[in-house]
Amino acid sequence: MASELITEDRTRHSAKKSVGIIRHLNLGTAVIVGALLAVTVNRIATKLIIEGDETWRRHDQIVMATMLAWFIGFMIGIGALVGPTRWFFGKDLNHDEAMFLAGKDMGIKRYFRYTTDHKVVGIQYLILTIALFFIGGVLAMLIRTNLGHESGGLIPPQVYNSIVGFHGLIMIIATIIMITGPFGNFILPIMIGARDMAFPRLNALSFWLLISILPILAATIALGGIPMGWSGYNPLADQGPLGVDSYIFTIVIFAISSAVAGANITTTAMKMRARGMNWSRTPLFVFGTVASVALALPAFPVFMLSQVMSAMDRAFGANFFNPEFGGSAWLYENLFWIMGHPEVYVILIPAVVAIMEITPVFARKPLFSFNMAIVGIFGIVGLSIFVWAHHMYISGWAPLLNGPFMLTTELISIPTGLLFLVILGTIWRGSVWTRLPMLSVYALLFNFIIGGVTGIFLSDVPEDAALHGSMFVTAHFHYTLMGAGLTGALGALAYWFPKMTGRMLDEKLGRISFWLVQIGFTVTFFGMFAVGLEGQPRRVEAYDIIFKNGNLISTMGAYTIFIGMLILLAAVITSWRNGEIAGSNPWGAQTLEWMTPTPVPLENFEVLPVVTTNPYQYGIKQETSS
Amino acid sequence: MVPVNKALRTLGVIAIGSLVVSLCVVLAMGVSKPPSILKAIQNGKAQTPEGLLPAAHMEISIWPDSMQGMHGAHGGAHPDFVSYGPTSHFQVPAHSVVTITFKQYDSGEKIWNPYFAKVHGTVDGSMTLDGKKVTGIDPNAVGHTFTVHGMNTGQPDMFLSIPLPPTDEESEPEPNGYAKPHIITATFITGAAGQYIWNCEYPCGDGSYAKFGNAMSTGGYMSGIFDVVDANA
Amino acid sequence: MWLMQMLSETGEDTTKQSGNRVSSFLSRRDVQQAIRAWVFWAVTLGGLGYLFIPHLMADSASKTMDIVKSTFMAFYYTSVPVAAVVLAIATQTVLHNRHTGTAPPPDDNPAIETNQMANIVWVVISSALCVFLLVWGLVVDNVVAEPSRAANATVVNVTGQQWIWTFNYPDAHKDTSELYLPVDQPVIFKVQSKDVTHAFWIVQMGIKINANRGEITETAVTPNKIGVFDVRCAELCGLLHAHMQTRVHVVSKADYEKWLANQGSVEQWPAS
Ligand SMILES: [Cu+2]
Ligand SMILES: [Cu+2]
Repeated sequence: MASELITEDRTRHSAKKSVGIIRHLNLGTAVIVGALLAVTVNRIATKLIIEGDETWRRHDQIVMATMLAWFIGFMIGIGALVGPTRWFFGKDLNHDEAMFLAGKDMGIKRYFRYTTDHKVVGIQYLILTIALFFIGGVLAMLIRTNLGHESGGLIPPQVYNSIVGFHGLIMIIATIIMITGPFGNFILPIMIGARDMAFPRLNALSFWLLISILPILAATIALGGIPMGWSGYNPLADQGPLGVDSYIFTIVIFAISSAVAGANITTTAMKMRARGMNWSRTPLFVFGTVASVALALPAFPVFMLSQVMSAMDRAFGANFFNPEFGGSAWLYENLFWIMGHPEVYVILIPAVVAIMEITPVFARKPLFSFNMAIVGIFGIVGLSIFVWAHHMYISGWAPLLNGPFMLTTELISIPTGLLFLVILGTIWRGSVWTRLPMLSVYALLFNFIIGGVTGIFLSDVPEDAALHGSMFVTAHFHYTLMGAGLTGALGALAYWFPKMTGRMLDEKLGRISFWLVQIGFTVTFFGMFAVGLEGQPRRVEAYDIIFKNGNLISTMGAYTIFIGMLILLAAVITSWRNGEIAGSNPWGAQTLEWMTPTPVPLENFEVLPVVTTNPYQYGIKQETSS
Repeated sequence: MVPVNKALRTLGVIAIGSLVVSLCVVLAMGVSKPPSILKAIQNGKAQTPEGLLPAAHMEISIWPDSMQGMHGAHGGAHPDFVSYGPTSHFQVPAHSVVTITFKQYDSGEKIWNPYFAKVHGTVDGSMTLDGKKVTGIDPNAVGHTFTVHGMNTGQPDMFLSIPLPPTDEESEPEPNGYAKPHIITATFITGAAGQYIWNCEYPCGDGSYAKFGNAMSTGGYMSGIFDVVDANA
Repeated sequence: MWLMQMLSETGEDTTKQSGNRVSSFLSRRDVQQAIRAWVFWAVTLGGLGYLFIPHLMADSASKTMDIVKSTFMAFYYTSVPVAAVVLAIATQTVLHNRHTGTAPPPDDNPAIETNQMANIVWVVISSALCVFLLVWGLVVDNVVAEPSRAANATVVNVTGQQWIWTFNYPDAHKDTSELYLPVDQPVIFKVQSKDVTHAFWIVQMGIKINANRGEITETAVTPNKIGVFDVRCAELCGLLHAHMQTRVHVVSKADYEKWLANQGSVEQWPAS
């Protein structure tokens, strides 16, 4: 610790000379500039926008102008525009400035600046992800507390509906970034033998765009919440309070952020791989992460567009989605689900490939059927673009399309099955090294098969007519996004924690947490499957007394998950500060990130590596050489 | 460095997490819960088609703003919202004949669904409007409705819907500053105890979609709780 | 090397040889263990499903719901052997190949990079299952649509609005807040909304369709059981979405006629 501080001081002196305005820009200035601009614009808008007949639109206009001002002010204050502005006037950042932005000083302060080093961005994403999961988890506990009480009704309906919306929104953001954010940024460039991402400044941009959303999200509470749920269905959203404007801004900025991150990660993986790393020697995690962010590239702009239209409906009476004046609710549903279904795989694929990265290391076997894994991943990506309307079987939109969409949906089970084949083939006849990451492999298999099978039930048109909108669906997608997705992310955390922090994640606390979370998970969502089959609708704040027992079971399970996750949080905090020191390659793994020292130096590698095989050569080496 | 006990730290994190949840639950429960319950006054017995039953009555008012009733002298968070009063949580006795008197101070217009311009669920399908017996009002002139319904199972069926006509804009204002109210009385017979909700079916929110925003979508203004409780409770 | 042998043998297409390979494969100890685990999981999962799932599902009051339930069980039983494969391999490896400790296990496992036969078998089986699901789905989808084609069907207009359902019987000029249906008579629901999107769901009849403003959507069913059933809204529609539910009374034809004849559209209290 002490030596780190000294180096920080020394570098700071040398940096002073030639580093201009960006030296002084950080989270603090961003908040100040953002707040000042927001207040100013709010005043001006309140004066300028005259009170007409439609007063409710005026409020939306003022709130949207204020949020836009905050957003622009924040991005100016954090320094996102310094580079582009200089470039516009013909001179870019000088070398010292670029090094300063890269976080050359290595101090704690670089985490609160527009730092471009991918490792800093990775840690920033990790902290943000943990914070979002904590908030989303607390909200889940509020939901379960309300539903565990007799027949619900403990929390007033409009508050409850907003809690459900927040839980969904925050968890969706958290699960989308949970792997591509921390590990896609920190690990992926090292894994392919690069010194940084292709566009380091875009990397910082994608993260600080996300941070700029947080105050907007928090403002939602004061603005009446988002009682229409995270799906933001119109025309219900059109009717909602000003909080809906926060929701719209959150989605729009999040879509920009994920597009920036997606373009960056894709380019990095395409262009920056080490010498010799052809596609058949590229780790699967790289394929999966690229598949995920590339899938988000077409999906999220559609969602963003739907929110821009929704904003225009609310603020200007554009009536895109208002059936009273020729708009269509079905249009919104289509736009939403064109994003909504690919999004599930945007979340799921990184989790599965992280697990595929872990499995060979702990089974000490080559990854089984590398080619099938790639066919599986890209098969899912390709098909997932054509399945969205299975969320609309019962919408009445186009009943003739139900058959075709049932076909595409059920086809997805084939590439999904290949992912199972790869993991199962790898663990078959392999070792089972029972460390934390390997536990996640088994938990993912167990949960993903349940999530997958229940998904097949729902893909069937008549079955969906009975189960759509019920708690069965809620349980199903929690099995995929949480049972498989989050479990994969936790495995990835345990696996890469030593590389990112230099310390091992506490095995004992990790195990207690693992069992509490997984058992709690099974209890929670089996209770939920049961009440869903019995006929309890989703997103209800109160329910018929006949569903009491299942809900009570779910609530007890949910508390167990929460305690388990808190124990994991404690494990992360204690291990990060004074856990057992990890060597550069504690798992004996073969991907490149384990070939560089821990902590990883500023530019990752002393000498850039040259790759000659794929990284799954467990038990092969002697034979190929003989 | 002082070695910190791992177990204690873990317990600390669990304690903090649980505390955050408990605090949030308390906060969420507190938001917009009505401060008081209006209980029907029980007085004697009355003859009904179902025989002699204990009788009870209560009075409910509807205002074009929130300056009266439970939202405080300054109208609370949304002084401009239309509101029911004196509270939004009502309680009537089970197995009784209940009479509610409505004082309707608000204006109105056409209703979406003419079904709710008719009286439903009262003793003989009628109510009195300013002393006259009617079974419904003009669907093109509805001020609000008082519509009670509830969960399907675990309690008796209850459906009650009383249309409340708008005030006459031309009339002399009352001393309290509002237009002269219509007085509506509705009499109905309650079954066994149960928990129900009531809401207004006249679109009286702000101008946003379907006029069901604001007051209509915020609990405690145009919706609330309607409990039927056993007499000894 | 085992892998090389395996791969080169796949090329030769001798049934006798492959028969031997299959039997020697099946007699391997780890395979035997996995098969035992598979049998255990298949029996356990199948048995649990058989015992519990029918009781968890809502009672049936129509042929459509019978189909929903039988489809659920058919898909469940189809997926049990597949899930059992996953769980069997997981169980076998955990029981027999566990390695504890802080040092990585030794690199002495068979270095199997792929197995053409396994890949092919896997893809063929999952494709076959997929075709089965699709054919099943298309067939039953056609069966549940039968009531909508019935010539003698009763029509009921269903109106969803925040947060209540109302029903209109166009032939009888009757409006109600609870649904009355004659048993064994096909009924077509023409569903619409006055405001936001709702979903009209009769739980025990297995039908659901969204109610949209400005559009009429249709669903149909033939109730086959006398009793009281549940209508619930299945699409978040705002503040009191949870309370947007009402009852369906399925009555004998005679009782239905009597109810229809009950003059006036005003419901009598108490509504039984
Ligand atoms: Cu009203
Ligand atoms: Cu609804």
